[in-house]
Amino acid sequence: MKEQTEKVDLNRRNFLKGGSMASVMAVMASGKDVLQPSPSLAQAASTNAGPPVKFGVIGCGYHGRDIVGTLAVLPNAPVVALCDHYGAFLRRAGRSAPDAKQYANYKDLLADENVEAVVIATPSHQHKEIVQDALKAGKHVYCEAPLASTIEDAKAVAMAAHQHPKQYFQAGLQFRSDPQRDFLVDYVRTGAWGQTVSARSQWHKKTSWKRAAPTNEREKEINWRLDKNLSTGLIGEIGIHQLDAKSWFLGKQPQAITGIGSTVLWKDGRSEPDTVQINLEYEGGIHAGFDITLCNSFDTDYEMYYGTDAALMVRGSQAWMFKEADAPMLGWEVYAKKDTFFKEVGIYLVANATKLTTVTGSGEDDAKDNPYNDTPLYYALENFVHNAYVHQSGVEDFIAGFGDEDEDVLREYLVELEGSKKPAANYKHGYEANVIACKAHEAILGNKRIEIPSELFELA
Amino acid sequence: MKLSQRIICYWSVLSLIWASTLLSQAQNTTYKGMFRGSSMKVDGTSTVHDWTIESKLISGSIELEGAFPSNLAVSAVPALSGTPKADVKISARSLKSGKPKMDQVMLAAMKADDHPWITYSLKSLAPSKAERKSGDALAYDSLGELSVSGVKKEIKMPVTFTPTEKGMKINGKIQIKMTDYGIDPPAPKIALGLITVGDELDLTFEWHTQKK
Repeated sequence: MKEQTEKVDLNRRNFLKGGSMASVMAVMASGKDVLQPSPSLAQAASTNAGPPVKFGVIGCGYHGRDIVGTLAVLPNAPVVALCDHYGAFLRRAGRSAPDAKQYANYKDLLADENVEAVVIATPSHQHKEIVQDALKAGKHVYCEAPLASTIEDAKAVAMAAHQHPKQYFQAGLQFRSDPQRDFLVDYVRTGAWGQTVSARSQWHKKTSWKRAAPTNEREKEINWRLDKNLSTGLIGEIGIHQLDAKSWFLGKQPQAITGIGSTVLWKDGRSEPDTVQINLEYEGGIHAGFDITLCNSFDTDYEMYYGTDAALMVRGSQAWMFKEADAPMLGWEVYAKKDTFFKEVGIYLVANATKLTTVTGSGEDDAKDNPYNDTPLYYALENFVHNAYVHQSGVEDFIAGFGDEDEDVLREYLVELEGSKKPAANYKHGYEANVIACKAHEAILGNKRIEIPSELFELA
Repeated sequence: MKLSQRIICYWSVLSLIWASTLLSQAQNTTYKGMFRGSSMKVDGTSTVHDWTIESKLISGSIELEGAFPSNLAVSAVPALSGTPKADVKISARSLKSGKPKMDQVMLAAMKADDHPWITYSLKSLAPSKAERKSGDALAYDSLGELSVSGVKKEIKMPVTFTPTEKGMKINGKIQIKMTDYGIDPPAPKIALGLITVGDELDLTFEWHTQKK
């Protein structure tokens, strides 16, 4: 009898804890039974991958090889071509894609008809020409973020994407494809944190950011990120993802940026500071701080958003809400898992909690608590594969039925198709984040405040 | 008959055939499918919720006789002297639910890789006997052949024609069964068991065409 009671309690507990927060909020709003489970056909659909998209990866450095490795894990993203002018990098990338053809010149890869889509993972200042050529060659493009090292080049990249509607373009702002963040944005839009007060982010890691090479010439080439004339530095090459997340979550772009930077630890001749801080100013008196350092690892990386009713902390693929004592009761939080951070109680926010079986414990089971434990890069590439297929099949079907004389009508159809794509950063997101990164970099190098006219975010 | 007379005679016959063909073409007007405004909706049910998939890509054309009304200020739906030629096609993969995984389930059920097109060709079109007021759309009873998943079936469907500024708007609605077209209603697994999709589907279309 006791065993049976425990079993019943366990099932009930798991059921309650497994209820999706979004579902709970939605049913609360509609006045329906909160305990009504809400499976859907979409949830029930098999996880079988869609049709394959054949990839070429241009740029096989450290991040390029990470991309090749991630594509190798995806069931429908065969890497059929690799390109790098540095033979050792090409060979190393080839270990994860043994059947891929290897090219030293990206134009030869673009001429390979077997390649349907390219990932461009070269140094940022080399992106522009490759993106333009890839789109002209009819390839779908995933361009790593930042799109470029200057606003002018980023605009050229974004405009090239706009001018080639038949190809799918995705900016490598990975957080836009992260299921947890996508879920959190919906939460934020409900106004659950009250009136926005401020935001803060950090990225801390003790590492030189310098890469070893066999010759001085190669070392200079491979360490382009440390050269202020080639790179947007820490704020652009690392921080752009969190900068973009701020714009996304706050739903607005900054009007001014103040920056400071210094080289505290890694005094090895680099022209980029190893520690930077910026303050972003938004309309309504909202400020957002962001600090990045290569000199200390404490607390790694996370984003904080502060509202009059609650604060939101996003760390990796997890998030917590910290409610103010006078905040209105939402109801669902009674059942949610809670973690303690020193003296603060964080209410666990997790996407698609109906998939969970064990939302329990004190944080030790965090990996099990979250159904989305893959990296943001994984989700970004997974969504790219899906979206490139949806885009391509849509273009093919449209042309088969109506011809390709009227590009405006094709664009209208492609807008309709957006609802069938998975979350991802488009060229506009890529450009806007690039503007902020470039202006922040300029502010840091000049230790000054820079105003950003709103027109700068416009592409036309 | 001399050779020259024979040649003249042949030419005359050929000219007559050619002229009559031209005349017949002049009597018909071809209306070509447009993207803007067109929609084909499939509404279905399941044990958990109702669902809809929709395509905006209805391509093809219909030929109507030149005397076909260009507005609705007619006293009666005109009978047609022959069956208009109409061929319509919709790409199966253009049917979207807004939920990528559900789209995958439906495409697999429809065997879309092997049968990428849903097609329809008209076999007859007769004025509807339903009562009509001036200004109502022109209602007809159609008989045609619908092909889904490679299975062809004759279907009877009431349709309406509404002349528009550019051409003709054609509306229709019909109920079909998946199993009639060799489609097994999907039964995907979920954590709480199986979802069963209902066999019956409502097909509703609005097809905007323009004069070619």
